Amino acid sequence: MRSTGRCRPRVENLPPRRSLPAAPALALAALAALMALAAITACGRGASSPGAGAPAGGDGGAASRPRNPDALQLLFTYGSEKEDWIKEVTARFNDGGFKTAAGKPIYVEAVAEGSGESIDELLSGSRKAHLTSPASAAFIKLGNAESRTHTGKDLIGPTQNLVLSPVVIAMWKPMAEAIGWGTRPVGWSDILSLAREPRGWAAHGHPEWGPFKLGHTHPEYSNSGLISLLAETYAAAGKLTGLGLADVERPQTAAYVSGIESAIVHYGSSTGFFGKKMFEKGPGYLSAAVLYESLVIESTSPKYQLPFPVVAIYPKEGTFWSDHPVGVVEREWVTPEHREAAKVYIDYLLARPQQERAMQFGFRPSAVELPLTAPFDAAHGVDPKQPQTTLEVPPVEVIDAVRKLWHQNKKRSQITLVLDISGSMNDEHKLENAKAGAEQLITQLDADDTFSFLPFNNRLDWAAQGVALRDARDKALATLRGVFASGGTALYEAVAEAYDYQRRLAAREPGKISAVVVLTDGEDTDSTLKLRDLLAKIGGGSESQNIPVFTIGYGRDANRQVLEQIAAATGARFYVGTPENIRSVFREISTFF
Amino acid sequence: MTDSQPPKLTALGKIVILLFVAGCVYGAWVLLVKKPAGAPGGGGQAAGSGAAGAAAGSPAGSGSPAAPANGGGFLGFGGGDGNAVEIGIAYGTEKERWLQWAAARFAETADGKHVKVNLIPMGSLEGAQAVLAGDTRIHVWSPASSLYKDVFVQEWQLKHNASPFKREENLALSPMVFVMWKERYDAFIAKYHEVTFKTLGQALAEGSGWEAIAGKPEWGLFKLGHTHPNESNSGLATLVLMAYDFRGKTRGLALADILDPGFSSWEQSFERAVSGLTNSTGNLMRDMVLRGPSAFDAVVVYESVAIDYLKNAEGRWGELRVDYPKRNLWNENPYYILDTPWSSREQREAAGKFLDFLLTEPIQRQSLAHGFRPGNPAVPVRFAGSPFVDYQRFGLRVDLGTVCEPPPAEVINNLLAGWERAHASR
Repeated sequence: MRSTGRCRPRVENLPPRRSLPAAPALALAALAALMALAAITACGRGASSPGAGAPAGGDGGAASRPRNPDALQLLFTYGSEKEDWIKEVTARFNDGGFKTAAGKPIYVEAVAEGSGESIDELLSGSRKAHLTSPASAAFIKLGNAESRTHTGKDLIGPTQNLVLSPVVIAMWKPMAEAIGWGTRPVGWSDILSLAREPRGWAAHGHPEWGPFKLGHTHPEYSNSGLISLLAETYAAAGKLTGLGLADVERPQTAAYVSGIESAIVHYGSSTGFFGKKMFEKGPGYLSAAVLYESLVIESTSPKYQLPFPVVAIYPKEGTFWSDHPVGVVEREWVTPEHREAAKVYIDYLLARPQQERAMQFGFRPSAVELPLTAPFDAAHGVDPKQPQTTLEVPPVEVIDAVRKLWHQNKKRSQITLVLDISGSMNDEHKLENAKAGAEQLITQLDADDTFSFLPFNNRLDWAAQGVALRDARDKALATLRGVFASGGTALYEAVAEAYDYQRRLAAREPGKISAVVVLTDGEDTDSTLKLRDLLAKIGGGSESQNIPVFTIGYGRDANRQVLEQIAAATGARFYVGTPENIRSVFREISTFF
Repeated sequence: MTDSQPPKLTALGKIVILLFVAGCVYGAWVLLVKKPAGAPGGGGQAAGSGAAGAAAGSPAGSGSPAAPANGGGFLGFGGGDGNAVEIGIAYGTEKERWLQWAAARFAETADGKHVKVNLIPMGSLEGAQAVLAGDTRIHVWSPASSLYKDVFVQEWQLKHNASPFKREENLALSPMVFVMWKERYDAFIAKYHEVTFKTLGQALAEGSGWEAIAGKPEWGLFKLGHTHPNESNSGLATLVLMAYDFRGKTRGLALADILDPGFSSWEQSFERAVSGLTNSTGNLMRDMVLRGPSAFDAVVVYESVAIDYLKNAEGRWGELRVDYPKRNLWNENPYYILDTPWSSREQREAAGKFLDFLLTEPIQRQSLAHGFRPGNPAVPVRFAGSPFVDYQRFGLRVDLGTVCEPPPAEVINNLLAGWERAHASR
């Protein structure tokens, strides 16, 4: 039954059937049989394909390939925040018989990505999308500025907003009330002074809540992360408008940003993931996170068992809108026919039925004739009459300076890589590719981060512990490149060993992000430790000592279920890795640090 | 090995066959009974056949303001006759819905059968630049106002040494208005007593914004929006009205008035605080309704555009309030039939027939439904159902204060250059 459910979207995504001629019953039955088989085949693919756990960008396509070779295919990349809505309405579009003026059927392949990633891909031409919709106009601005520097013209043409959602601070209701929400306007400054408060919640009369834990995404990959950072910098400068380079360069600004970032649990590229983890793991995991309003509405879904309601704080100093602009890409691979088809698709997304559907996913529709009714109400933790003011998006050079400042002051990380080097890693160049992927991780870590490396087969042999990358990044890379594959797989013991080590490090240096990244291609064959005991060990620590264990199931033989359990027990994420996508998997994981 | 039993179906095999049969039945049902998930919003029809959608029309207040045009494309109407004459009309998007409705009606007339009307949406100033650049698709230029006419005529004559126009008429009128959120309008009036460009400038200059204006720090800074003066007629009209307001005159705006350092520095401080520059008045108003007072406390737009959005705003952020500048300008929506080398006699005649049709009583009456004041003076404005009667509570009124004289080309050019300097200093 589960596989049928997974398959349904694929069946719906098949190209239009409307134009099929009427046929005798026998032919219809034969056709139906083919469809049923196609469905079964698709199910098979779905079950084994790197679907749900794959990182954004890996398999975000809303639809399978068109069966009609004559269809005009549009590649649409979009910010993953609106994935549920886009997937649903695009499947219906592909099934709806839309055509160009010349009568060519239009087929949209919609791929969910991080907003920054989609712009980077267009700039480099590595993914030749025809239209794109990041989460905010700030990314269009940055992309166009970059493009003008190199080519003299824009990357993306005129845009229209698909849907809107303000950036809010999502907080557990009792915590929000403790800082005055509901009785007075609350803003970034309140949250940020709480983040800088060494006594944590005790300063607000709630020592039982422990330290204040804040989450925002990685500013280079995610819109809400960039917005959080800009808001921090505005607050540091004490301004509401006109943020300039001089403000960013003041030493007080750096101290302020550094103080806030110390309360960060970890970063990441997906705002949706942060929201989901906050709702699943409760207030011990995150006190507050910078999310979209749409996610606060999602928190009321029955799929979450929340200990308290979550409310949206609309910062009194102002916030930013995630306005989901959509525009046609201004590159040579976009033909007039693509433009025409893109307009048909955009008009479809902006039409009333699709806009009404967006509201049910928590987005404010851009169709102004639709009034904001439920779920935009207090029962869903939001207020349709907010926000009352916004912050000004600073010029591109100031945004760049803010990002540099963040790099210098972000929370530091200490990471252990646990790499399976059992004999099976020799097959299909798996180890070679895994090493190349892991190099991405080491390269993306900052100079002040530390790196540890535990390769394992049936034995556990630490190859590096606590290497400071400022001095020894090359050495760490050389050690990684030097391992080779042989022997069995003592997966559980390797995870337990790395976890214990990171716990000790975290106790010694609590101000850093501590995490374990595990890559394995098979089942545990050599541990005396049982999975049950491992899960009890890594999931049982107090919330303040939680060490996230990110897991990568590499290749066909990895035990997905086990790895998902290990990741979930620690609030981390499971990834499907293949020799082809392993670099992007490691890059995605590195956005958490 | 002596097993001679006939092959048996395993449980899995039975399930597969069952699924297969169910698949057959479902497939047949899908093909015979269930229509494909409809293409909502006019879906399923070929792109470019938007005439049908436009033909449906919609009375004011009942429909939604059209989504902004996505650039590039245009809609074609009529010309069912194989020998139809094709004309292109570059028009300001503020009258998009009315023109689309009218073109669809025209296509049903005897004259319309012989004319194919291509509606090409362009910013008013953008249309002028396209004609000057020799865009052969354009046979009629219909900007929002005649404000840029002199500049266009001058530049055309420099190139061609002849008048660019064969015939010109005003289609529909609309003055400029200030639109504010009612709650904030009341607070603004309590402090400054009236909305003028001078009082708006004072509000923009308040360092603590609404805290100083109305003791409301949570409303943030005072935020005013107008369109890009170099691309949109309403932005240019805003500059002209600012200059008249600053000088306290209603006619004879001269170079000396705008080159004066007092005006320049006031304009600079004003423009430094203005936000949300866009090239379309409709987009600006739409943005105000979508993002509410968080994005704009006030905007300067056409009265017709404001009317289009008054009802929608109530479902989002609350009531809007319209106020009129003491010194105003008419946006006459002129229709200029061009006398260009690429325009044939037949095309000019066809453009004339469409113009005559636009000025007929039923079509003019429909312009009211889209918030315009009819260009044909015989068509009444005050009647039950007219927005000027129904929307009085939002501040709409028929009688204007003083209407200013459009300044000459050199003043317009210098105003735009001055604005560029003020904008560059941001």
